[in-house]
Amino acid sequence: MHGLPQADPTRVPAGHAAAVALRRRPQLPQLQISRRVWIGLASLAGTFLLWWLLTDVTGAIGPHRFPAPAEFWAALVQIATDGYAGGTLLTQAWYSTRLVIMGFLVAIATGVPLGLLMGVSHRAEALLNPAFLLVRPIPPLAWIPLAIVWLGLGDAAKILVIWFAAFVPSVINTWTGVRGVDRTLIAAARVHGAGELRLLWEVIIPGSLPMMFTGLRLSLQASWTTLVAAELVGAFFGLGRVLDAAYRDINPPMIAVAMLAVGVLGALTTRLVAVAERRLIPWRS
Amino acid sequence: MAFMTIADRTPHPRELMLLSLVGAALFFGGWQLIAISGAVSPQTLPSPIAVIATAWQLAFEPFAGHTLIEHIVASLGRFAMGFGLAAVIGVPLGLAMGRFRLLDDIVSPIFEALRFIAPLAWVPFAALWFGTGIGGPVMVIFAGAFPPCLINAYRGAKLVEVRLVEAAQTLGAGGLRIMAEVLLPGALPSIVAGLRVSAGLAWQSLVGAELIVASAGIGYVMVQAQSNLAPAIVMAGMLSVGVIGLAIDVALRRAERLVKSRWGQA
Amino acid sequence: MKDIRFENVTKSFPTRSGTPFVAIHDVSLAVAEREFVAVVGPSGSGKTTLMRMAAGLDHPSEGRVRVGGREVTAPGPDRAVVFQQFALFPWKTVRQNIAFGLRCKGVARARQDEIVAHYLRLMSMEGTEDRFPHQLSGGMQQRVAIARSYAIEPDVLLMDEPFGALDAQTRTVMQEELVRLTRREPRTVLFITHAVDEAVYLADRVVVLARDPGRLREIVEIRPVREAEQWDERPIDEVMDLPSFTHLRTQVWRLLRDQIRPDD
Repeated sequence: MHGLPQADPTRVPAGHAAAVALRRRPQLPQLQISRRVWIGLASLAGTFLLWWLLTDVTGAIGPHRFPAPAEFWAALVQIATDGYAGGTLLTQAWYSTRLVIMGFLVAIATGVPLGLLMGVSHRAEALLNPAFLLVRPIPPLAWIPLAIVWLGLGDAAKILVIWFAAFVPSVINTWTGVRGVDRTLIAAARVHGAGELRLLWEVIIPGSLPMMFTGLRLSLQASWTTLVAAELVGAFFGLGRVLDAAYRDINPPMIAVAMLAVGVLGALTTRLVAVAERRLIPWRS
Repeated sequence: MAFMTIADRTPHPRELMLLSLVGAALFFGGWQLIAISGAVSPQTLPSPIAVIATAWQLAFEPFAGHTLIEHIVASLGRFAMGFGLAAVIGVPLGLAMGRFRLLDDIVSPIFEALRFIAPLAWVPFAALWFGTGIGGPVMVIFAGAFPPCLINAYRGAKLVEVRLVEAAQTLGAGGLRIMAEVLLPGALPSIVAGLRVSAGLAWQSLVGAELIVASAGIGYVMVQAQSNLAPAIVMAGMLSVGVIGLAIDVALRRAERLVKSRWGQA
Repeated sequence: MKDIRFENVTKSFPTRSGTPFVAIHDVSLAVAEREFVAVVGPSGSGKTTLMRMAAGLDHPSEGRVRVGGREVTAPGPDRAVVFQQFALFPWKTVRQNIAFGLRCKGVARARQDEIVAHYLRLMSMEGTEDRFPHQLSGGMQQRVAIARSYAIEPDVLLMDEPFGALDAQTRTVMQEELVRLTRREPRTVLFITHAVDEAVYLADRVVVLARDPGRLREIVEIRPVREAEQWDERPIDEVMDLPSFTHLRTQVWRLLRDQIRPDD
């Protein structure tokens, strides 16, 4: 293959250099990133050590107040294998998660369209605002007693309350997102011939997505908080029930296990929303 | 674009006000009609008038041990303690974490680990440690109110221009003075916004805690009413909760606006 | 192709104090078919208001705006607008942005692709189809905005200080490109700018507005001189050096100068 220029082995191939330049990552010295991680790990290790010292070793905090690491582990194993309050950790966790997902999905299915409606139409907003303003300041947890009066101690009441908790942030954040869309973009769409539907679907909704996702995150948080509360007040099954039963049995290790489970699930679901956000919003607005 | 007024001209304010009145009338009127018509029993859905009458009545007649006003005072007291504690610990800590990287590195992992535990999940431990006394609800309120205080103070401190801190340093200010006179005022808008969110969460956590582990307070009232199948009282309780929560939010919004107008946005 | 007619147009805005603010007072102006008219004036002379009324984004308080003989009531694809801030949809790629108006018109996908490719080639932007606006420089973004408007073959093109947000070098390049584009595919253009150089270089006629209240001051003919001296055959730096160019520029500048106040 003569005729092609010889590659100079001392030069970096153009492709690689370009790729490196494109990535444009800020040059943090390797040392600094590790340092933060190291200190973090040390901190967590230190806390663990403290925990162990205060409970197992010195007994400064009695077993009836807070479990020692060993007890915690034993309880975790117990619920994971034999189960507690009617089910294993997985079944209880799934039961609660299922309720959260159901309530959450219904909430965004109703809240986002309502937020869109109130956002694009000042008239719709004026009409619906009074009802919304009245209902909004009532904390979702405050609906629990009413929900139980109406629907009993079963799943339906829980879903109603979760729905309500997740509904409000969805509406508000979607509404805010719509109102925040750059008016010039709307004008640009109109001058190029967009009708109402296209304007809604291709300009207003994408423009509101960032705020909508903030609403989703808040809704999810509210859903978990409300579920735990609702299950604590009265439930037959679920993580809240586990918490309640552990409390009645005066079983601190199990209480701690249930709390941890709630925390982990909350973090996991939030992470899922963040991942969805990154995939649906690949542009930087 | 007649329907999507956001893409066109905003309708006349008077038209909007009229629509709001119509909306309010439809809501309350509809509610009242449904309650009166007998389609749903008053045991399930009391009319709006019944709710207000009940609230008025409870203000002076005791239910579950105290009058409604006394219950509200009890709730507010717990709220103040829990919220106050969260602010007093959270804000300085957040500022310090924003200023001192080492502190941030140490505290952050612990904070992040605990943060995702729903505040109400602390109730069993709170009940175990404090019984139905005031400590229980306060602890739960603290768990709910603490994160926003910390996070917003931290963010606010980070937003304060490094140059301002450096300027203070070159003028001889020590760590504490910098925190108090440079970081705190600079972060104030963010802090106040955080306090508003925190107060909302505190109020919610309070209600939740009182539903489960209290012997007085609005939440306790609602749970008792629920056991007695008295939805009118439950709704009266909800009304009080909503009104007070709104009042707290409005008050803090004003504070936020005041800070913004004097300090500008961070 | 359509023409634009402003017939005794007045636009006033209500103010808090009660006395309305008159942005434009009794302006009558005609932009012929395929004519490139630049509008210059000090800030507050109502240049942008004029454009917005032609676009249908605002409505005159008195008088009429007609495009192609019909009164303007709402925005539409026959009057495309190029905004100063580009107004590209951040969530759409370059290709999707340019094709937007075509899709509104119902153009078939294959034809859409053809047209998009055509304009990308014309503006030396091949290969950028799948990038998002935030990945492009200011100049490239504005090219995409212009391509988007051109793609729908509007009868009228309204440009509101389209190069205002660009740096000086990019601006010069864009002016040259716009000249190439408009001479090659002439359209009725109403071009708002406060840069006199730009106006004289690009336009067939330059309309000078005055302010307090906004009104028509004078119209300067450029085209005869431009064609006589063959500006379009020369590079922009050469043109801006020609005595004919500087003469016209000074003429316009003088009309503006005595309106500039020290606090501008």
